Amino acid sequence: MTYSERIQEIIDGADVALFMKGTPEAIMCGNSERALGALRRARAPITAVDVLVDMEIREDLSAISGWPTIPQVFIKGELVGGADIVEDLERSGELEKTLLERLGDDYWSTRAESVVTVAEEGARR
Amino acid sequence: MTKERIQALLESAFPDAAELRVIDRGGDDHFEVRVTAPAFNGLSPVAAHKLIYAALDEPWADGSIHELRINTKGTTT
Repeated sequence: MTYSERIQEIIDGADVALFMKGTPEAIMCGNSERALGALRRARAPITAVDVLVDMEIREDLSAISGWPTIPQVFIKGELVGGADIVEDLERSGELEKTLLERLGDDYWSTRAESVVTVAEEGARR
Repeated sequence: MTKERIQALLESAFPDAAELRVIDRGGDDHFEVRVTAPAFNGLSPVAAHKLIYAALDEPWADGSIHELRINTKGTTT
């Protein structure tokens, strides 16, 4: 499986995918922290992916999403935005509304935060 | 200076902008842009921000912009 295939698999499979610099336990960038904070406050079931593991991951992700910067948040396979948009959506109440619409009324009951990696199981470029 | 370059690129991309501000957030490579323009009417935030990224493709590519905060608004609503 290539990086691109693995990235697509994560985007398609996760309810909420957060591509970030570092992990929720060891955040390496203020903007990733902003996006993570907004998602946590909205009680989103976050699947986090560290893009710093390999520079190619970031390049392949941006090629897929058409979005040049990190973090990137996907809800049910659709790019929602980076830190600015996710914070704006939180402020306007749209973030919770979107989560309710796409994940269902009890989306927070499965609130498990997990970290997955792109470069596992022999994934290569 | 990068700030003027960003300003010029955005002005040519959004000539009918009602508001167009570039704010230097430090180091001459961290910026915030605020653009209100008809081009954003009816667009999702993701689609609107992609227009900004497209307009600033050059300074991104050559590393002049390290970090960018984006605030876009349409002229309706």
